[in-house]
Amino acid sequence: MSSNNPISKHGADPKLFAEVSRLVATGSSIDEVLQGILEHSVEACAATRGFLAIADHDRGELDVRYTAGIGWTEEKRLGRLKVSEETGGGIISLVAATGKPYNSPNVIEDPYYIEFFEDVRSEIAVPLVDKFGRIRGVFNIESTALGAFREDHERMLQALADLAMIAITMSDHRAREAALVEIGKELSRYSEPNEILQKVIDVAADVLKFEDCSLFLIDVVTDRLVLRASRGPLKQWIGQASYALGEGLTGWTAQHGVPVRVVDPSKDPRWKGRFEELPASEVGAYMAVPIRIHRGVIGVIRVQRKKSPYKWFPNDFTEDDETILTTIASQLGIALDNRRLIDQLVRSERLAAWGETSARSAHMIGNRIFAIKGDINELEYVLKESGANIPEAEELIQSINKGIFLLEEILNEFREFVKCTQVELQESDLNQLVREAVEEGFPKRSPTKLELKLRPGLPPIKADPKKLKRCFTEIMENSVNFLPEGGEIKISTSYADARSKKWLKPSQQSGHYLQVRFEDTGPGIELERKPKIFNPFYSSRAKGMGLGLSIVKGIVEAHNGVIYEHGKPGKGAKFTILLPYESKRDEQSGTKSQAS
Amino acid sequence: MCRILVIDDEEAVRTAVKRRLERDGYKVDVADSQAAGIEAIKTHNPPYDVIVTDMVMESPTSGLDVLRAALTTDVFSEVIVLTAYGNVANAVECMKRGAFDYVEKNIPGVDVFELLSIKIGQALERRRTSLATLRKIEQYSNLD
Repeated sequence: MSSNNPISKHGADPKLFAEVSRLVATGSSIDEVLQGILEHSVEACAATRGFLAIADHDRGELDVRYTAGIGWTEEKRLGRLKVSEETGGGIISLVAATGKPYNSPNVIEDPYYIEFFEDVRSEIAVPLVDKFGRIRGVFNIESTALGAFREDHERMLQALADLAMIAITMSDHRAREAALVEIGKELSRYSEPNEILQKVIDVAADVLKFEDCSLFLIDVVTDRLVLRASRGPLKQWIGQASYALGEGLTGWTAQHGVPVRVVDPSKDPRWKGRFEELPASEVGAYMAVPIRIHRGVIGVIRVQRKKSPYKWFPNDFTEDDETILTTIASQLGIALDNRRLIDQLVRSERLAAWGETSARSAHMIGNRIFAIKGDINELEYVLKESGANIPEAEELIQSINKGIFLLEEILNEFREFVKCTQVELQESDLNQLVREAVEEGFPKRSPTKLELKLRPGLPPIKADPKKLKRCFTEIMENSVNFLPEGGEIKISTSYADARSKKWLKPSQQSGHYLQVRFEDTGPGIELERKPKIFNPFYSSRAKGMGLGLSIVKGIVEAHNGVIYEHGKPGKGAKFTILLPYESKRDEQSGTKSQAS
Repeated sequence: MCRILVIDDEEAVRTAVKRRLERDGYKVDVADSQAAGIEAIKTHNPPYDVIVTDMVMESPTSGLDVLRAALTTDVFSEVIVLTAYGNVANAVECMKRGAFDYVEKNIPGVDVFELLSIKIGQALERRRTSLATLRKIEQYSNLD
């Protein structure tokens, strides 16, 4: 026996550790590694049998996952052990509860022991503890002999258990790495943004064992965090649940741009509990991290875990969890930003392609129409010369002329679209341009009420007066077209406020802007139509080609400005145009000189 | 009889303009490109009285090249440039360089052929005045 026992008075057999270390380093799966360590342990301690029970945090139990030695039946392999510190609760449970090794030289007399195999006389159990002090499992070997295990056996077994813990930690990291890679792949796939968001939180929740996971993005119009993806009960509130910045733990995270990780969040003074995945009393741990891009926080991912009913298995989030979630958030931030840039690029490329096509078409169509006009001119002449009085023919000529008139109008809209980005900027007074646009473009005897609220003393802007006025009249015409009798249009000018400036590109954010706003009391624009209204050929108006708003957008952008629509559907349309001005003095002193 | 050259790369346009101007009693030649037009201007003798040219043919500024060729051949040639509607910048450039006028092809609701006919009448009038002035100057210089 002594020749077989690797534990001599010189200590454990170095060959054993060499083999186990090699296994940990090269094992192809966590199951293979843990099974191997267990078998080596049983053999090295000359034990009858042994097992490794893994902690099941959800059920608060230990699950006999790996077995070695003799006497195992299917039934015994399926064993699960409750965790308890009390006597008679079992040695494995005790080790799990205390986190300390336990050596029982004579189980028959041990108050903690409960029988699992009737031939057992001595037993030794050591815990698997991770770097956060959590019990991840219990290593157990037993013998049919009394006092089979000495203190050095216990030390060796703990060393092997630590190696097993290293293997489990590595495996955890691999799983997390795989999850991050998977999220990375999902993000780079060109799919709908909402699908991306949902996929991200699904992967995060599954692989990273967050029970519930929700994603909020800041809506630039309302400046609120709006729920965009979630699992579980909050799913039905996607697009509706929202927090003000600073409101609740979620809002706090967005406002301060730093992660929050708390146990028992409902006791936190910042807690609001407005939209929760779980009832407040059940939330055990809460973590939220900001989604940041270069221009700041654009949203928050938050995760929750239920309170653990098992005091041995705390459910709080670890630093590792925070690192993972932060990594996911930054990947997501980059992906969403990329997505936005791609959209912008596609839009401008499409616009350029349309521009070129329409330039060529316009020239050809224009020539054809010109020639047809020549034919009609000749026809009229021939008819007159012949002295024939044919009223039908004259009517036909009138009709053709009318058709040509409409054709030329369409053609000119085409041309205007092509040239909307060619502006000649000169110093202009925004209020004056608005007044002139109203004068020139607003019907004099209209049933529509018009209210002008122009802030006096605005600084001059660089504008192409003709083209900018064209923008204003186009938007007014649009409103008038959709307004019911007695409808109202309100046009206001002012300095751009912080909320409007969110619509600017990051590169424009630091500039100074004036804003013109057109509000009406018409039907407004339905949510699903909003993203398309500035696209060429997208119109619900019968007249023209539907280039109107895309021309407007083109002209505004040629002024280095931004236009957006942010009315409430059913309540009216609201167009805001931001235009840059050069600040010779800061806005404050501008305001002061106003007041004086 | 007044001689007019019409330059346009669209046959339908050439035909329509030629027919209308012939109705006014002019002798009308046509050319189907900037290059052919310039060739005709340089070789026709006596020079054309009025040249009607499209602005956009081989290049977006073909009209300007035709204008240059016409004025270097006969400084008193009158050139009328046909432009797209709303292309004010191009039209202004033509005027600056000595074109008689420009006519926008697609002004909605305007009978552009009548307009062209009127402008050609005015152009010929100016050419006649210029040539008359030139002759007087020549007479005076012959007296010396």
